[in-house]
Amino acid sequence: MSSPFTALLQSLIRHRGVTGCMVVGEGDGMIVDSSLQIGVNGDAFAALTASLYRKARRAAAAAGFGETGFFELDADGGRMCAAGRNDLVIVVIAEPRVNVGLLRVEMLQALESFA
Amino acid sequence: MKLSVAENWVEAPLKQFVDEARVQLAVLLNPSGQVLGQFGFASSVDVMTACALAAATTASSGELGRLVDGRPFAGLHYAGKVRQIFLGQVPMGAGTLILLTVFDEESSLGLVQVFFAELCVALAGVVQPDAPTTPALAEDFERELNRNLSVMFGRS
Repeated sequence: MSSPFTALLQSLIRHRGVTGCMVVGEGDGMIVDSSLQIGVNGDAFAALTASLYRKARRAAAAAGFGETGFFELDADGGRMCAAGRNDLVIVVIAEPRVNVGLLRVEMLQALESFA
Repeated sequence: MKLSVAENWVEAPLKQFVDEARVQLAVLLNPSGQVLGQFGFASSVDVMTACALAAATTASSGELGRLVDGRPFAGLHYAGKVRQIFLGQVPMGAGTLILLTVFDEESSLGLVQVFFAELCVALAGVVQPDAPTTPALAEDFERELNRNLSVMFGRS
């Protein structure tokens, strides 16, 4: 079954090093659509990432930095990138070797379609 | 906010759930409506009311699920303007427990569901399968209910 986000997710998952990508509701942390490799706990990842993104956005707003455009988390074993608009967040789970620059451009472009 | 329990084995799992899911209220009860532990309630009357309503809602939604889907619904979520309610069943051996929790924008349905799943695993790990599911006999119900509320709210 396809959704309005299927093409976007298929494009993101093709990047070298990307192990999963999802469109998640920012408010409820629920997955709207996803493309995940086996072994990724999508529900937990979606809920926790949406919460993190929401709090980062609130922190940025409280500090007077304006809207959060792109959010990246680096860990020893991988990276998590998130970008959101209109209560939807694109979340990408990737290996450390992923080309974050390219991913970032594509995610920010994809946000335009959320407007 | 204080967490209080009538049964010691629920304390650690319930505390972990409350801390991690960032909920405002939580009450764990058995299907007959007897409270086992609670967080965030100010009075025993509120707990008693919440437990009675949660037990009744679970029974109703269970029957509705059987009618619609051939099996009881496992969880129920209601989103209000500011606060939301999640009502879930915790499988325990042959029976179940019920968790009623209330949360606001500090948490989310996704987070509550994730940590609810962890609560189910934690409770299954610390309890004898049939220990908490023993139904209260009608003649013992009020006494047991009052005992549990007294333990948690410190009144005789």
